[in-house]
Amino acid sequence: MIKTIESIGRSSINIFVTLRATLLLAAGIILRLFSRRAYNSASRMVFINQFYFTSVQILPLFLFVAVIFGTMVNGMAFQVIKNLGLTDYLGRLLMGFVVTEIAPFVTVLLIALRSGSAINAEIAVMKVNRELNTLKIFNIDVIDYLFVPRVMTGMLSMVLLSSLFSMTVLVTGIFISSAIFGTSVDDYTGILLKSASLPDIVIVLIKCATFGFFITLIPIIRGLNASEEELTSIPVAVLNGMVRVFIAIVIIEVLSSIIRFI
Amino acid sequence: MDLERELQRFISEHKDRIGLVSMDAPLISNLSIWSNIALIRQYHQNMPLNEAKNIALELLSRMEMEGVLGKRNSALDPEERFCIMLLRAAMVRDAILVLDRPFSILINQRDGAFVMDALKKIDDLIAETYIFDYSWAESCYEANNDQ
Repeated sequence: MIKTIESIGRSSINIFVTLRATLLLAAGIILRLFSRRAYNSASRMVFINQFYFTSVQILPLFLFVAVIFGTMVNGMAFQVIKNLGLTDYLGRLLMGFVVTEIAPFVTVLLIALRSGSAINAEIAVMKVNRELNTLKIFNIDVIDYLFVPRVMTGMLSMVLLSSLFSMTVLVTGIFISSAIFGTSVDDYTGILLKSASLPDIVIVLIKCATFGFFITLIPIIRGLNASEEELTSIPVAVLNGMVRVFIAIVIIEVLSSIIRFI
Repeated sequence: MDLERELQRFISEHKDRIGLVSMDAPLISNLSIWSNIALIRQYHQNMPLNEAKNIALELLSRMEMEGVLGKRNSALDPEERFCIMLLRAAMVRDAILVLDRPFSILINQRDGAFVMDALKKIDDLIAETYIFDYSWAESCYEANNDQ
């Protein structure tokens, strides 16, 4: 009985300590996002490199996925709508489901799998190799130099790529709606504009930025938890980081749905 | 152990001007050699990328090491690694250069000639130089005292 209570207590303390460290680092990064010191020449270089790896290098794969996915989803959804006689809901389906739910979700999965894991491994390697110690010795703040540019890139990339995904899916929708319903481009655009709502778009943008923040913050924190000079701690750090990123994605998705539908 | 403590004490006393050359301060592996050198001025003086790169290039040419410009840490031999660490340390403004057991980096060197020669090439950038090493390694530097 005592052992069980001890184990519950230990787990609770661990969760509390981890959560506290995460929140403190998150608060530190958010504060530095507004600090001029974080925008020096070295941090800008990290930002540009990270933006290139996260948002530019992924473009061919991303566009391919967006076109294939858009064609599939639009094709199936439009056919079902037609069969059920719910043609009036076409715009609502595209704006309320594809733009606000599917686009951010697919984008966050792609960025988390590609850049989240890379950031996690990179920080873990730096910790194991004592390169973070180098930065400390030369008075280079790791939050300014390493974390702020990565978190900013994560947030910006999520917003931009999710918008690009939505645009691609909506453009493929033009051809599919024309084939299934015989709608013209003008009619299709009109339906979309009528269904677009500002609160929904604001929520999507906030959701994308939140996704971007956490899919970079969590890998950074897990990378920092790797042990110095212990190579085996790198895969463990990446594994733990990616599991937590997935949990964070699910939590943000659920919370945003609750906010939208209440 | 005393050497470690003494070194830590010295570093914390001169924290703002320390340019450390040590195995405990390795080069950043995901940066190229010139980026490792330029980083210090880019961060502390907000020096534009091209200007910092040109300084790094000039310093590399002093060491006759232009060939390593785009390489990474893992591609360097011990002598090259030592020189790059030295150049990085020299990028600190009014640098107090600290060489922490140089022969742990220069594993192929038997005496201090290489160290002294490298130091001479950048002595205009350094305010003071200190070498921290074990007492039994003192003889390695004695032959070069006159330099």
